Amino acid sequence: MTRALRHWAAVIAFVGPFLFMLLMFQYVPVARMLWDSLWDFALLNPDKRTFVGLGNYLDLFDDPDRRQAFLVTFGFAAGVVLTVIPVSFLVAVYLNGTLPARAIVRAVVFLPVVTSAVVIATMWTFLLDPNNGLINGALVILGLPKLAFLTSKAQALPSVIGMMLWQQTGFATVLFLSGLQGIPRDLEDAARVDGCSALQRLRHVVIPLLSRTTVFIVVIMTVFSLQAFAPALIMTSGGPEGTTNFVAFDIYQLAFSLQQPGLASAVSAVFMAVVMGISLVQMRLLRTRWTY
Amino acid sequence: MKRILPLLGAAVILVVILTIFLGPYAWIVASSFKPQFAIFRDLNPISWGTFIPANPTIENFIHLFANRGVGRALINSAIVSSCQVLGTLFLCSMAAYGLTRIRFKGAGIVFGIVLMTFLLPIESLMVPLFMHVSKLGMQDTLVGVFIPWIASPFGLFMLRQAFEDLPRELDEAATIDGAGHWRIFWSIVLPNVRTTLATLALVTFLFSWNAFLWPLVIIQSPKNQLIQLAIAQSVAIGQLPNWGETFAGATIATIPLIVLFLFLQRYFVRGIALTGVKG
Repeated sequence: MTRALRHWAAVIAFVGPFLFMLLMFQYVPVARMLWDSLWDFALLNPDKRTFVGLGNYLDLFDDPDRRQAFLVTFGFAAGVVLTVIPVSFLVAVYLNGTLPARAIVRAVVFLPVVTSAVVIATMWTFLLDPNNGLINGALVILGLPKLAFLTSKAQALPSVIGMMLWQQTGFATVLFLSGLQGIPRDLEDAARVDGCSALQRLRHVVIPLLSRTTVFIVVIMTVFSLQAFAPALIMTSGGPEGTTNFVAFDIYQLAFSLQQPGLASAVSAVFMAVVMGISLVQMRLLRTRWTY
Repeated sequence: MKRILPLLGAAVILVVILTIFLGPYAWIVASSFKPQFAIFRDLNPISWGTFIPANPTIENFIHLFANRGVGRALINSAIVSSCQVLGTLFLCSMAAYGLTRIRFKGAGIVFGIVLMTFLLPIESLMVPLFMHVSKLGMQDTLVGVFIPWIASPFGLFMLRQAFEDLPRELDEAATIDGAGHWRIFWSIVLPNVRTTLATLALVTFLFSWNAFLWPLVIIQSPKNQLIQLAIAQSVAIGQLPNWGETFAGATIATIPLIVLFLFLQRYFVRGIALTGVKG
C-alpha cells in the first residue's frame, strides 16, 4: 500500500506541475474562448453580457471584412510557400556545391531567422518607404521608377510576402541543405555514370528524394504565415483597405480596439480550427512513406 | 576560359546573396549612428556613405536610454526571458522524467493531452488568455508575460526524446544502489542530456526575447515595457518616426541574439529545426 502511494506521489510530483500549468493556460482559455464566443459583451465590463448563441458565428460568415481577413491570410500563406520553396531550394543547391565561404553564407542567410518579427517589420517599413526607402533608392540607381509598396492597394500584400520570403529563406535553406546532405553520394554517381546531366540528376534523383523535406518545409511555412501579426500592426495597420488585414490582427483589433471580444472569440475559434486542420492534413501527408 | 566562367558565376551569386541578406542590416546599423537628415541625404543617391557613417554619433543611443526607457525595457526583457527559460527547463524536464522513467497508468492519456495543444496557434488564444490572466491578477505584470508558456509542449517533446535515448541500465543501477527518483533525475538523467537542455534553453530564450503579440496584449504601463514593445512603439503608425532612434533600438534589441547565434550556431539550427512543427 505504501509502495503504491509512494509511486503515485512520485508521478504527481513529476508530471503534476506541468499538467496543471498546461490545463490552466491552454485548456481553460480554449474552453473560455468557445464559451465567450456565444456572448455579446465589452472587455471593459465583461460581466454585463447578453447571450447570442451562434450569432457571432453567423455575423462572422456574413461580414465581408472577416471574409477578407481570412482570404488575405490564405493568400499570404500561399504566396510565401510558393516563393520560399523554390528560392530556398536554389540557395541550398548552390551552398551544397564546393564553396569556400559556405559556413559564412549559411550564417548570413540564417540571420533573419533569429531576428525578431518586430525588428524585421520595422526594418522593412523603412526599406519599403516610398520616399526615402533603401529599395526605392536602389531602384533609382538601376534607372527604374520608384514604387509605392505598402501605400498601394495592389503592392502592399506582395511587399509583405517579399519581406517574409527574405525572413524565412534562411530557415528553409538550412532544412533543404540537411536534406541534400542526406542523399547518398553513390546514387548521384550512379546517375552520372549512366550519362545523366546535372539537370537530369536534379530532376530525377535529388528532387524526388527531397519530397519529405519539402512537405516538412511547406507545413512550417504555412503555419508561420497563417500566424502573421507584427507586419500588419507595425507596417500597414491592415491596410490599405484591408488588403493586409491578417486574421491575427483582425482578432486583436476586434477585441482590444472595437471592444467586441465575443465576436473576436468566434473568429479565434474558426481560426484555431482552420490552422489545426491544415496542420493535421499536412502532417498526415508528412507521415506517408515516400519510397523510390 | 571554360574553368573561369563557372567560378565567376559562383562569385557573382555569392555577392548577390550577401548583399540581399546583409544590406538591410548594414543600412540599419550604419543609420543608427547618423542624425535624421544624414540618413535621408545618404540615400539620394545610394553610395558607400549609405552603409558607412561619415561622422558617426551615438546621439540616438543616448537619447534612447535617457528619454525612452530602453534600459528599463532591456532589463525587463532579460528578466522575463530568463524566468521563462528556467521555468520551461524545470517543468519540462520533470514531466519528461515522469513520462519516461516512472511507469504509470494513464501516461498515454497525459501524453495525448499534451499532444493536443501542440498545434494550437497562440494568436487564437490571446483574447481568452488575456481575460483569464487578468482574472488571476497578473495583468500588466512581468510574471503574466512568461507564466502561460512555461508548460511548453515543444519542450516536453524535445526532452522526452532525449530521455528515451538514454539507456535505462543507468538508472536501474542507481535504483539498486538505493537512489530515489529525485536523485536519479537530478544526478543521473539531467547531466546526461545537457546538450538537449542547452538547445531548449537557447530556443526558449530566442522565442521569449522576440515575442510580441502576447506582451503587447498583457503589458500596459511603461515601467513594465519590454524591448520589442519599445521598438514597435517608435514606429507606430500615425507618428512621425525618428529613423535614427528606431534603428538604434532595433540594433540594440538584435545584438544579444546575433552574438548568441554566432557562438552557438549549431544548437540554434538544430533547435529551430525541431520547433518547426510547433511554429
